Amino acid sequence: MIRVLIAEDDKLCRTILEKNLRKWDYEIISTEDGKEAWKVIQENNIQIAILDWIMPKMDGVELCQRIRGKKWDQYIYLIMLTVRNKQSDIRKGFAAGVDDYITKPFDTHELKARLQTGKRIIGLQNQLLDSQKKLQEIATHDTLTNLLNRYEILNILTDEFHRSLRENKPVSTVMLDIDFFKKINDSYGHDVGDEVLVEVASRLKGSLRRYDKVGRYGGDEFLAILPGCDLNNAKRIAERLRRIVCKDRIKTDAGQLFVTVSVGCVSSESQSHKSIEYLVKFSDKAMYHAKNMGRNCVIAS
Amino acid sequence: MTMINNESSPENSPIDFPSAMARIGNDESFLYELLELYKMDFGAKIEGLQKAIDLKDFVSIQELGHSLKGASANLSLPFLQKAALNMECAGREKNLDKARGALATLGQEFRSLEEFLAMKG
Repeated sequence: MIRVLIAEDDKLCRTILEKNLRKWDYEIISTEDGKEAWKVIQENNIQIAILDWIMPKMDGVELCQRIRGKKWDQYIYLIMLTVRNKQSDIRKGFAAGVDDYITKPFDTHELKARLQTGKRIIGLQNQLLDSQKKLQEIATHDTLTNLLNRYEILNILTDEFHRSLRENKPVSTVMLDIDFFKKINDSYGHDVGDEVLVEVASRLKGSLRRYDKVGRYGGDEFLAILPGCDLNNAKRIAERLRRIVCKDRIKTDAGQLFVTVSVGCVSSESQSHKSIEYLVKFSDKAMYHAKNMGRNCVIAS
Repeated sequence: MTMINNESSPENSPIDFPSAMARIGNDESFLYELLELYKMDFGAKIEGLQKAIDLKDFVSIQELGHSLKGASANLSLPFLQKAALNMECAGREKNLDKARGALATLGQEFRSLEEFLAMKG
């Protein structure tokens, strides 16, 4: 339901507007002056506003200017309701940011039609916002596992690393690699390999703290970022991730497969790990050390 | 004896019913509800106007005239709307005589409206 603000000091006009808008299935918030209307707009998700030109405390033109002067999550469609119909007044209204206006006393059918136009504009804007959101998702997420992609996880690591320096707290990284993944692909095919990747990703994501992040770093490699985490805690979380992957077999089209990961972790506590590149490099090195130690284990750098 | 037709002709009617009904979605009971609201508000505004005229407060005369004009227009009350417009102009022009004249006309037209509504029952 579209939410409409009515800002009209005349009680009669306001009552007529409220009745008609309710009949046309709009959700309404009503105010009697411009100052109250400004407060309501800031505190509620208003999509369309019908504003009287002359109102106490703040007139319609000033209200429009304030609305257009601020950034909003979505566009607010503004209809000015006024007796003023001189060309100069009309120009003033549009210059203030009004989208449409209707003269008093208004014709109900005309008002309904102009509100429909507003609804269409809002609809188009919502479609645009949805598309932008989807594009944003595609740009930052791995399409197979729905984890953050390599580019985005490294962006986040950069932010978290600088935050850790500002706040003088550690940040840890955990690199995980699926053991014998090439063998899974070669033996069962890439589709089964994809099923394994998706399930491992899901288990990892579900086992982290709310503010930790995990991304698909490479083909079968995952990188987790643990803000505010020292090495001991990083080892504990890394071990939890290792166990969650191998605890239950993974159901695939080729049957239930036993899958393990080799895990390396490192914390920025150590002087030698005081850069993003070192964090990634040493957690990767630790992961390879885990491979050499027989796989399915955690090594801390 | 000549029979006098007591019904106002459409052009003399204090309210343009078809126009008013169209504006409020053809709901007659709602129209009468709004007319009651108008009558209540009218009394307060007339008092305000009398006070403003006594105090030569032209800003208030203009604002109250403007407000009455809008309310009258919403309910398609053409004569009240015209009188209210005259009041608004009187305030803008700082013309006390015009304001007093408009006040008297508003009173007369309001009584006409009340009589008309009483006859309609």
